[in-house]
Amino acid sequence: MSTEASILHADLDAFYASVEQRDDPRLRGRPVIVGGGVVLAASYEARAMGVRSAMGGAQARRLCPRAIVVPPRMSAYTEASKAVFEVFHDTTPLVEALSIDEAFLDVGGLRRIAGSPTEIAVKLRREVRERVGLPLSVGVACTKFLAKVASAVGKPDGLLVVEAGTELDFLRPLPVERLWGVGEITAAKLHARAITTVADVADVGEAALVAMLGRASGRHLHALARGLDPRPVHVGRRRRSIGSQRAMGRGPKTAGDIDRTVVALVDRVAGRLRAAGRVTRTVTVRLRFDDWSRATRSHTLPRATEHTEPLLATARQLLADARLVIEQRGGLTLVGIALGNLDDDDAIQLELPFDKHTGGTLDITIDDLRERFGRNAVTRAVLLGRDLGDSVPLLPD
Amino acid sequence: MKFRCERDVLVEALGTATRAVASRGGALPVLSGVKAELIGNRLVLSGSDLDLTIQVGVEVAGQADGVAVLPARLTADIVRALEPGAVHIEVEGEEGRISSGRSQFAVRLLPADDFPRLAESAADEVTLDAAALAEALRQVVRAASHDDARPILTGVLMAAEGDGLRLVATDSYRLAVRDLPGASVLREGQAVLVPSKALGELGRVLTTGTVTLRLGERDATFVVGDTRLTTRLIEGEFPNYRQLIPSTHPNRLTVGREPLLDALRRVKLLAREATPVRITLKGEGIELTAITQDVGQAHEDLDAKYEGTEMVIAFNPEYLADGVEAVEGDEVTLETVDALKPAVVRSVESQDYLYLLMPVRVS
Repeated sequence: MSTEASILHADLDAFYASVEQRDDPRLRGRPVIVGGGVVLAASYEARAMGVRSAMGGAQARRLCPRAIVVPPRMSAYTEASKAVFEVFHDTTPLVEALSIDEAFLDVGGLRRIAGSPTEIAVKLRREVRERVGLPLSVGVACTKFLAKVASAVGKPDGLLVVEAGTELDFLRPLPVERLWGVGEITAAKLHARAITTVADVADVGEAALVAMLGRASGRHLHALARGLDPRPVHVGRRRRSIGSQRAMGRGPKTAGDIDRTVVALVDRVAGRLRAAGRVTRTVTVRLRFDDWSRATRSHTLPRATEHTEPLLATARQLLADARLVIEQRGGLTLVGIALGNLDDDDAIQLELPFDKHTGGTLDITIDDLRERFGRNAVTRAVLLGRDLGDSVPLLPD
Repeated sequence: MKFRCERDVLVEALGTATRAVASRGGALPVLSGVKAELIGNRLVLSGSDLDLTIQVGVEVAGQADGVAVLPARLTADIVRALEPGAVHIEVEGEEGRISSGRSQFAVRLLPADDFPRLAESAADEVTLDAAALAEALRQVVRAASHDDARPILTGVLMAAEGDGLRLVATDSYRLAVRDLPGASVLREGQAVLVPSKALGELGRVLTTGTVTLRLGERDATFVVGDTRLTTRLIEGEFPNYRQLIPSTHPNRLTVGREPLLDALRRVKLLAREATPVRITLKGEGIELTAITQDVGQAHEDLDAKYEGTEMVIAFNPEYLADGVEAVEGDEVTLETVDALKPAVVRSVESQDYLYLLMPVRVS
């Protein structure tokens, strides 16, 4: 923990909805919901009426009948995210991305060049507003945890600085749900023992928390409640897996429908794998069934690969092996593919070219075409005429 | 069932038969057992995991005929631990009694009726020279895959080739081909895919003399002396490997087999995990290098003869050593096209064996 409040948590407000309001003046100042089925994002005007992300569309419209519902424009959000991260990187080299709309920035040691952390935070918010046109909330504190809590408390479009030495004054009155790692279940456990504020957590003592929540969670919460969080800002933390998933609706599906989805997903994740200059050894298939239960199946290859074909063959085999479970649980409603055991592609054991299509010539050609002419420039025959939806914007892998 | 047998004889027979015993009981608990069948003075021990069955016959002093399935691992451990000398085995009710000198054991038996029965193959017998087959298996089985996700590659292709037999295995990174000229085991055009695990076990029991082979529709049986090994065959199409073997090689390295293996063994110490060994090919002599980031590096020069374009090519050191070790004779050749195409390892003396190896692409 630094002795100065020099860690910034920068978080874009209602990101998707803000981009929509920025690009269409008619939406400004009005409740906006992005996504017709499930709410992907809601503007602050809609949130005031109780609309939340991940809420069903029907419920959202009941709560806020005046809301304007717009379809998502994923490519616009990706563009906006890139522009915002450019501003972050212009501010400090120490940027740890958490998602496309949030990051930690360490600005300690920049005082002589750029001013105090507070001055830098003010400038950062102004720059994002001027250069990208989006509202940004920033929390400033000595630790990552406190900075994140501060930005959340400061929202919307706010700046909150927790000066060194005032951490506990800031933290103690907050509800326990603000603590990192406290979800519904933990919150319920704590409430059952009349622990509702961070102060209660800090005062009950570590031993009691360990007894309630187990060793790891107990210690973790106790440390956080006293403002302790030793984690530094990590730059360029490498991804440990690359994945993508797709919901399939609840109607009946043929084996062909499932296979097409698997083909599309493998195509996508394999492309991302190669774009990141990495190779994988483990293919994991995630399944969700009609009864909402879930299962995962994975296989580790003897050697790392970057090629679509062996990854697709493995994914198909995993799915074929799971056929019985899929039938028993009433069919699939979601398929996901994740590539794990990632490594850099600086030394790749090549495969014997039994088939002219292995060996990567095809992969390289397709990647190249998509890079130059867009991701829909070339697709697989089985995917012709199928709308696979926009890909959700992601951090670079 | 009741018999007496020398400990060392029984230890060896149990050791061989239990190699086919399923490592995990799985669906059929009886497969964790070894079946003992006594008729007169002949005891036959069988272990099976359904895919592979190994039967070993031994001469014992029989006192009462019978059949029993003993827990395989436990029985083998007990017999091995006994003092040298005569071992008595007797079945009483649901117990098998094992005794020797002042040691006595009683173990619970498994239901003998559950033990899978082997169908006798009606196919014609052919015989092969055991030593030649053992050598061929040693050279080829190593290239087979252990990845059950690609079952076809876990097999060794046995195919008629000219007037002889050809064995081929690949794990998709390397490919080994061995011809046994004159061994006409298969009909022209016939080819079977035999699990490499079974052939590995066969290789362990082959010594001298002959081996008898019977090829059925779904299984193959090998008989060596008192040992009979039956394996299911793998169904499916082996990849077309012929088109992979380059017809011309612009670059050819000739190097001593032992010196190269020694150098690889040393340099490999610094080729951790996926790190390859880089070989610099040039006029007089070659250089081997391995660099693992944050660990260190190794370098070794080696006398050799090289004709061709100067180049650097990288290999997985285990795969390369496997191929070099497999060839016969004092000198090996490594033929290359370029750093990204399959390379061929061969003996200078014999053209019966070929080892094809894909390089590691390095940036």
